[in-house]
Amino acid sequence: MAAESNSVERLREIAEEQGVSPGDDDLEAVLDFVSRLLPALKDLERRLPPETPT
Amino acid sequence: VNDELNAFLHAEPAEGDFTVGAKDVIDVAGMPTTAASKVLRRIPERDATCVARLRAAGAAIVGKLNTHEFAYGALTNSPHFGPALNPWNPAHTTGGSSGGSGGAVAAGLVDVALGTDTAGSIRIPAAFCGVTGHRPTIGLVPTDGVVPTAWSLDTVGPLARTAAECRRVLELMAERPLAAAARDLRIGIVTRLFERAEPQVAALCDAAVRELHGTLEQVRIPLHDDIATITQLVMLPEATALHLQWLRTRLDDYGPDVRARLLAGLFLPPTAHVTGLRARRWAREEFERELGEYDLLVAPAMPTTPPRLDAVPATYRLDLMPYSSPAALLGLPVTVVPCGFVDGLPVGLALTGRRSEDGVPLAAAERFQQVTEWHLRRPVDHASATELYTSRQAQPGRG
Repeated sequence: MAAESNSVERLREIAEEQGVSPGDDDLEAVLDFVSRLLPALKDLERRLPPETPT
Repeated sequence: VNDELNAFLHAEPAEGDFTVGAKDVIDVAGMPTTAASKVLRRIPERDATCVARLRAAGAAIVGKLNTHEFAYGALTNSPHFGPALNPWNPAHTTGGSSGGSGGAVAAGLVDVALGTDTAGSIRIPAAFCGVTGHRPTIGLVPTDGVVPTAWSLDTVGPLARTAAECRRVLELMAERPLAAAARDLRIGIVTRLFERAEPQVAALCDAAVRELHGTLEQVRIPLHDDIATITQLVMLPEATALHLQWLRTRLDDYGPDVRARLLAGLFLPPTAHVTGLRARRWAREEFERELGEYDLLVAPAMPTTPPRLDAVPATYRLDLMPYSSPAALLGLPVTVVPCGFVDGLPVGLALTGRRSEDGVPLAAAERFQQVTEWHLRRPVDHASATELYTSRQAQPGRG
């Protein structure tokens, strides 16, 4: 479900799978933000001590 | 209410011992709750618990205060209701999301305003409007009857002219006394947040720290670079889940910035929220290990003075996050006090306490306000300033 390929079209597919139909402008606005957050998430996952609970 | 500053979304006459305005995400019986949105409009039959407790103590609830749409942003510029204007200079933002709350207190329209703080939304307008504000320890004040932003981060707290008033109102809402520390305070100066602030802001905050009583040491917040990311990982999925039905049916009724932020939550992997919760646990443990012995951490509440409404930097939210995210993620209490002015615009100092020790930063703030007069300053003539702003907007070429 994640936006692994950070294109507007991929974002649109993911949104529509969840019943949401955003326009191009909305997706363009989100793309940059998601493109920055996902690598930060991956980096965090790599460094997070594995035994850490929620 | 004479509200040229667009602080109120709804006002009614009321009588009581002290006047209170509630941010328009907090239910007041018989008054509309809109969250400054086009999507929500409900007229609750019952007060939110925090409001009911104040009403029982003699508060006159005089209205609902402007907010960033759904309290999901830091400006208070809802496209549906218009921006709250800063009483110190109406060309500038009040900050947000509790911007109507900050503006109403600064302009003397209410004695006390209630705000909410998920990721900075009491502290930002308190600093930008030159008033005192307190973000409580998470869980201290009930949030039922409050439109959620993100369940695991939301808090409700007061903004007022003084820390003593904030304490009084917070004790009423929490239904418990908030004790001060009966010890000499160990105070950590978060040097990085001074270094990142505008020099004039940092200088005022540095001078303010010298008025605090206690042992001062320089400290760093562990995982500080990660905390904004972790906060996003927790907040975005929660906020998007809250709005999902409306995103499906009323997407176009959201303002562009809130719509984009809510949509962003759709594009995170299913593991993101769990990773965020685990990373929050990690950050809390590291914080406790390195800074758990400190009674207070001090830093500029915000790195700048409030920007002009027509010139908000593209990096505005990112710039604020290192200041606002740590206490939000860790659930810590913070009192913000005014500590000076740059070019006529307020600057605030943030005093962060240990979890469940809200009385400590409040007591330090009260003591600070016994020896300083920044909290006594008032905007001289906000009506004239509003006229000036309006006339400037009418000039050709101005937005």
